[in-house]
Amino acid sequence: MKKKFDPEKVLYATASIVFFFVAWWFITTFTPAKNTTPGPVEVFVLLITSFTKPIGEYAILGHLIVSMRRVLVGFGCATILGIILGIAMGSSKYAEAIFKPIFELLRPIPPIAWISLVILFFGIGELPKYIICGIGAFTNVTLNSYTAAKNVDLQLIGCAKMLGTSERGIFLRVILPSCTPQIFAGMQVGLSTAWMAVLAAEMVGAREGCGWLIQRGSDTLNITLVMVGMIVIGTVGLILATVMRAAERRLCSWNVMGE
Amino acid sequence: MECDGRVKENRMIVAKDVKKTFESMGNVNEVVEKVSLEVKENEFVVLFGPGQCGKTTLLNLIAGLELPTEGKVFVNGKEVTGPGPDRGVVYQTTALFPFCSVMGNVEFGPKSRGIDKKTRRERAQYFIDLVGLTGFEKSFPNRLSGGMRQRVGIARAYANNPKVMLMDEPFGHLDAQTRYMMEEELQNIWQKEKRTCVFVTNNSEEAVYLADRIVILTNTPTQIKAEIEVNLPRPRKYSDPEFLKIRRQIEDICEETL
Amino acid sequence: MSEFEKKRRKDKMKITAISGISLCCFFIIWYVCTAILHLKPDYILPSPIQVLQAFYEKLGTKAPDGATLFGHIVASLKVAFTGYLLGALFGVPLGIAMAWFRRVDMLVTPLFDLIRPVPTIAWIPLMILWFGIGLGAKAAIIFVSAFVPCVINSYAGIKQTKAVHLWVAQTFGASRKEMLFTVAIPTALPMIFTGLRISLGTAWMTLCAAEMLASNKGLGYMIQLNRTIARADLIIVAMLTIGIIGTIMTGVLNKLEGKLVKGGRRS
Repeated sequence: MKKKFDPEKVLYATASIVFFFVAWWFITTFTPAKNTTPGPVEVFVLLITSFTKPIGEYAILGHLIVSMRRVLVGFGCATILGIILGIAMGSSKYAEAIFKPIFELLRPIPPIAWISLVILFFGIGELPKYIICGIGAFTNVTLNSYTAAKNVDLQLIGCAKMLGTSERGIFLRVILPSCTPQIFAGMQVGLSTAWMAVLAAEMVGAREGCGWLIQRGSDTLNITLVMVGMIVIGTVGLILATVMRAAERRLCSWNVMGE
Repeated sequence: MECDGRVKENRMIVAKDVKKTFESMGNVNEVVEKVSLEVKENEFVVLFGPGQCGKTTLLNLIAGLELPTEGKVFVNGKEVTGPGPDRGVVYQTTALFPFCSVMGNVEFGPKSRGIDKKTRRERAQYFIDLVGLTGFEKSFPNRLSGGMRQRVGIARAYANNPKVMLMDEPFGHLDAQTRYMMEEELQNIWQKEKRTCVFVTNNSEEAVYLADRIVILTNTPTQIKAEIEVNLPRPRKYSDPEFLKIRRQIEDICEETL
Repeated sequence: MSEFEKKRRKDKMKITAISGISLCCFFIIWYVCTAILHLKPDYILPSPIQVLQAFYEKLGTKAPDGATLFGHIVASLKVAFTGYLLGALFGVPLGIAMAWFRRVDMLVTPLFDLIRPVPTIAWIPLMILWFGIGLGAKAAIIFVSAFVPCVINSYAGIKQTKAVHLWVAQTFGASRKEMLFTVAIPTALPMIFTGLRISLGTAWMTLCAAEMLASNKGLGYMIQLNRTIARADLIIVAMLTIGIIGTIMTGVLNKLEGKLVKGGRRS
């Protein structure tokens, strides 16, 4: 894909975004909606002030850091476990026979449905949040590692055997690298699911974090706060996705077909 | 057999009454039927046969990627019981490791066998230079053309210093021009680094150009139909009358089969 | 039957047996930890038997969460389908239009990119404030969750159309419109279905969240309410029901895809 400066495209993009904000401003100024919904200016002002003025315990960056920590801890642990389990299931038929039925039994239950049980089990500290984020990431990473390991090109394995590679060498130098692109894809989906799960967990039972922030806005009928929260959450989601994509491009450059 | 009468000590590959059947859904499919084959050390043998015959299977049996249903295969006096580094394989689809650079691919074998970095780098570099890929060491396979990938495949097989080179239609996917070039290159490489070679093809021109001896196979179940010695001096010329005569001979034999 | 075939059949049976044993072990360990060792009190971790009992009772009784299991399922499905169908109905055509018409692409894509990164769960409070806690808010949330993947995948699917295929259509004198319907959309169909499948998954997940936060009926509400009164057995019943219904819906969609997509799935 060529990234060329296309004036027409820029023009259209600017026009549509300007239109969006003008329409938002118009609706919230001149129609009955103004009683319930804040305009862009209000939201922007609150967004700026919330960086310094705390809402609940922290200012907005504090909430962000809390949420990020939960996501990263849960995601990190789940990714490691998921890769190990997934590759084990994909490369050994015994591991597959043992774990796959249980995995398939639990997989369809969305991470959010676990929230209540996990809270009952572990209370409302940090651990249950890690676990909920972890569940979100775990299913995706495991499933992708599993299919990747199952679909490793058999000819490559045969080829490595012909070159005298040991079983361990085949695992480390053929199976594992062949799986990385797909594992990465799973990690990308997993990270955004974890980000979603942490919001839900915080909305249900927490005193801080981005999810709590928008829930608080909802409880106090403060739509401005809800919108600020959504903007922050969206921005962070975008940053997470971009970082993952950049990492993928660096690590899996061999997988990109010619320009 | 023809080669029985000659020097017996340096037989590199011996296949004795090899039979291979495959089963799927209860059907028994006989692919290779009682084939006996001997290849001398540093001999270049071409297995020539029509499209769907069991020539690849025969090659896999020598490689040890498949085991014979009946009969035995010996390489360098030892029975083949599985894949091993004394035999190098060059595949039609190249089967390069997509996640390794050219250097990574070529040094894969030596690295697997625990050869220290300096030695294996030197070795790999020698064969990369030999196949004419100097300067592409850091490239990944997805950035290489078909001919270049095949060169990497050859260098990779060579770098492991195998006794026997097994090549499964390595130039089958290439366009005609590249194919001629690669045939010439392969011949040069082979003359510099002599190995016992078993080369599978369905192209009679390629067969005559490369072979010391051509083994013509029948359709499945595969048997040996005939053998032709090619005693033309190297480098050979595609338009040489002698060359064309041998091609005609092969075509005649093949027509009988049909 | 030959040796080989026999060995394969034996292997297969062995694998099935291991799977069965592993599942049994899962339930036995669960049972031992709860009914015999009582590692956690019953209201936090019930035994599998208690869960089965709760499931059986829940079929008929409305206590403690105000509806039978069937009632909750119907409530959830109603919300899910309203939102999901609307999302697909708007999302797929919009994705196709964005990919096919350059102007639509240039106009809508920036707006879409603006909204896309916000996870659907973050829309819940806003929707509740706008629409209250009735069907409207939840359907709107599900709508967003289904809409986004539908647009993305339909867009990508149409963009996949090979220029050669379009040229062929052109040489046969096809109009732009004919090309869209005879070449581009059939090419995109597998991707569109992938989008439908993904959005079904997210919609179902979002539904849980929406019902947990704002509802008085439905499976998500059942999970949430039973937490406050510490009835873990009913939570597990609701979780399993959610899982099973999700699996069934995915299965139905796959069947439908098999029927509609000609020439095999690409992915």
